[in-house]
Amino acid sequence: MEILKQIGIDGKLLLAQAVNFLILLFILHRFAYKPMLAFLEKRTERIEEGLKNADEAKKRLDEAAKGEERILAEAREEAKKIVAETREASEKRGQELVAEFEKKAEKIVEEARERAIEEREKLFREAKGEIADLVIATTEKVLREKLDTDDAKKSVSRFLA
Amino acid sequence: MEISIIAEKLFSLGGFPVTNSFFVAVLVAVLLAITVIFFSRHPKEIPRGVQNVVESIFEGLLSFIESITNDRKQARDFFPLVATIFLFVLFSNWSGLLPGAGTIGLNETNAGQVSMVPFLRGPAADLNMTVALSLVAVISVQVFGILALGIRGYGSKFIVAPWKKPYVIGTVVGLLELIGEFAKILSFSFRLFGNVFAGEVLLTVMLTLVPYLVPLPFLLLETFVGVVQAAVFSLLTIVFLKMAVTSHAEEAH
Repeated sequence: MEILKQIGIDGKLLLAQAVNFLILLFILHRFAYKPMLAFLEKRTERIEEGLKNADEAKKRLDEAAKGEERILAEAREEAKKIVAETREASEKRGQELVAEFEKKAEKIVEEARERAIEEREKLFREAKGEIADLVIATTEKVLREKLDTDDAKKSVSRFLA
Repeated sequence: MEISIIAEKLFSLGGFPVTNSFFVAVLVAVLLAITVIFFSRHPKEIPRGVQNVVESIFEGLLSFIESITNDRKQARDFFPLVATIFLFVLFSNWSGLLPGAGTIGLNETNAGQVSMVPFLRGPAADLNMTVALSLVAVISVQVFGILALGIRGYGSKFIVAPWKKPYVIGTVVGLLELIGEFAKILSFSFRLFGNVFAGEVLLTVMLTLVPYLVPLPFLLLETFVGVVQAAVFSLLTIVFLKMAVTSHAEEAH
């Protein structure tokens, strides 16, 4: 241990130096490193979080824009489809109606014609009857008158001769 | 001119010999604590002025440690010890360069010989300080190793049964590792002491030979040496810490 003394190593001083250093270490750790490192860590976390949030927000915005476009496109497609369907349906319905009315009109015309023919026949029949009566009456009158005349007597005589 | 390898005693405090280097060590510690706390308290969310510098020092040191450990958590665990060693050694070394350190003092007669007792002496130009620091560093390394691997896991680095896999070689290597741990104390303390003490001797000699201008480049050199030694001490501490918390199995990969 003589050599330790010769190079100046002293137990008390050695311990005192170590304690001095340890106190410095403790104080710096407690009052400088710990709060500072915690603070830096917290800020790093906050910055990371902020960046992450920004990224996410951007992603969501992109998605929303894409979604909006998609929805618009879909809606447009749908509207087109609906319009086309409606047009088709209305055209079909129109044709149907026209066909129906045509049919009805034909039927009405047909009925009218039938009735007209019937009426005419009836008129004819009645007219025929009346005409026959008139002819008979007229013939009677004419015949009576003719027979009364000389000519008629002569004619009859001649026939009889 | 006489330069003592032993730090000179300034006065006694209840039987405790206060040497000039211990006095400066305490002074450096106090000033360092005040300064660092002053600059790192109440940090603002958006840094301004000095806070930028303090933050970049913290971040730089932390990412430097992380570049060696490859592990954020380990880097945070090692940070206090490593940062304190770096700051304390750095400012201790620089304090020895202040004008008056090693040159201003009182003449004292000791056993018929007159010798000058300087008031200030670089703390690291005293083996007590460097050995104390090395002990703190090496003991911390052991503590971190045990905390990380457990007593059995950590002990298995040094004590290997001769009937296990690499057989006797493993046992001998373990023994060498154990000796290596003690060698670390010696290499740590003598490296720092040697560099700083040599610097002080160099500066004193230069000042005695040519008082003006000539010592200036050497002063700059010693400023640089101060940084290098602080960096070396803390860098080696990180490396030893990393080696201690890494198990054999991991090392093999």
